[in-house]
Amino acid sequence: MDDVIEIEENALAYIKQRGNVLTVRLSPRHGCCGGSANVAVAEAISPKDPSLFQRYHHQGITLFTDPKLTYQGLKINVEGFWKLRHLYVEGASVLAR
Amino acid sequence: MSMKQDTSSPSTAEGMGLFERFLSVWVALAIVAGILLGQLAPAIPEALSRLEVAQVSIPIAVLIWAMIFPMMAQIDFTSIAGVRRQPKGLTITTAVNWLIKPFSMFAIAWLFFMVIFQPFIPEALASQYLAGAILLGAAPCTAMVFVWSYLTRGDAAYTLVQVALNDLIMLFAFAPIVVFLLGISNIQVPWNTVALSVVLYIVIPLAAGYITRQSLIKKRGAEWYDNVFMKRVGPITPIGLIITLVMLFAFQGEVILNNPLHIVLIAIPLIIQTFLIFFIAYGWAKVWRVPHNIAAPGAMIGASNFFELAVAAAIALFGMQSGAALATVVGVLVEVPLMLALVRIANKTRRHFPADAH
Repeated sequence: MDDVIEIEENALAYIKQRGNVLTVRLSPRHGCCGGSANVAVAEAISPKDPSLFQRYHHQGITLFTDPKLTYQGLKINVEGFWKLRHLYVEGASVLAR
Repeated sequence: MSMKQDTSSPSTAEGMGLFERFLSVWVALAIVAGILLGQLAPAIPEALSRLEVAQVSIPIAVLIWAMIFPMMAQIDFTSIAGVRRQPKGLTITTAVNWLIKPFSMFAIAWLFFMVIFQPFIPEALASQYLAGAILLGAAPCTAMVFVWSYLTRGDAAYTLVQVALNDLIMLFAFAPIVVFLLGISNIQVPWNTVALSVVLYIVIPLAAGYITRQSLIKKRGAEWYDNVFMKRVGPITPIGLIITLVMLFAFQGEVILNNPLHIVLIAIPLIIQTFLIFFIAYGWAKVWRVPHNIAAPGAMIGASNFFELAVAAAIALFGMQSGAALATVVGVLVEVPLMLALVRIANKTRRHFPADAH
């Protein structure tokens, strides 16, 4: 786990096409009977409030990441096509809110 | 976060607040409150029941949309692009949810309600309970699976994909499965009534959720959507659920007071089905050597149900006073304790599965 977060080649190319910025953050999901949990998501945009994130220059891009997600062996990849093409985070478990 | 070294399991208290851990207690209190309301102030439910348009009760429709919309609004359908990533896990969960679960629910419920419990439940009421069980069996969990996945340290990306895939299948499969199983149970429900309930309680909330999600993310960004919009809208689901239950039992009072034992009788086949479905999916995953962080959420989604949809469909098809509606509510009553038992089983058997897939 040498990398803050590993970024696959295809994902890196996708991020570079969209402005060289990657945000990896936690997205809450609410349960129907109450309760909620967080899933890690990746987006090729800057965060609304960068001060809430750790900032790195990594593999030629600017990476903003939730502190809970660094050095965890996570990998960013890209999948899908056309409107469904999106980044995703490999290696993350569902987390507590 | 990284599951490679972490062998501990999250505590229930971390993943679930007071409300959800004691959901059975709140549901029981809602039942009592509803019965009291129906007995002490019958004018209130009667007045509400008159607010109908095209035989659809407007207060109930609003409550049901309040329950279902927040869940639909958090589904990320772009995740569907990830279906090729964990083919074994998705094959198991899809086959169990759509080819096994509805039919095993029907078979178990039929055996108990129509045969074993025949001396205790009148035939007409037994058919209604069977219908409620069929509705529960045709709707796999949509939102709570994230909490179960957290409690078993499930893979986040896989959980997102399986929820998106199951919701998409549900859109097309729920009505045909329900109509088929009700048909072979000799419970006649007009196709147009089923179609109306699917449009009202699946298609409209799903479309509204999708449009809301897409437009607000475009306008305000995904971070705002998750942390501001969904934070406000998400908790509406359980509130809507409890108010719906109070309303439902305001109408159900006589049935419950005359047959209090029926709640226990309805719970028995539902409990058996929950364990059966969990063990089929979990055992299948073990045979196929699926990693635990895929196997556990894959088994949980089928074991748990989309209660809000089942309750909504039961009310739309059979009415507030129906035995079918009561049966779906018993499903809510037993949900959390049962699923927490399955979480414990999954966590205790982790070592029997291959290392987590990351």
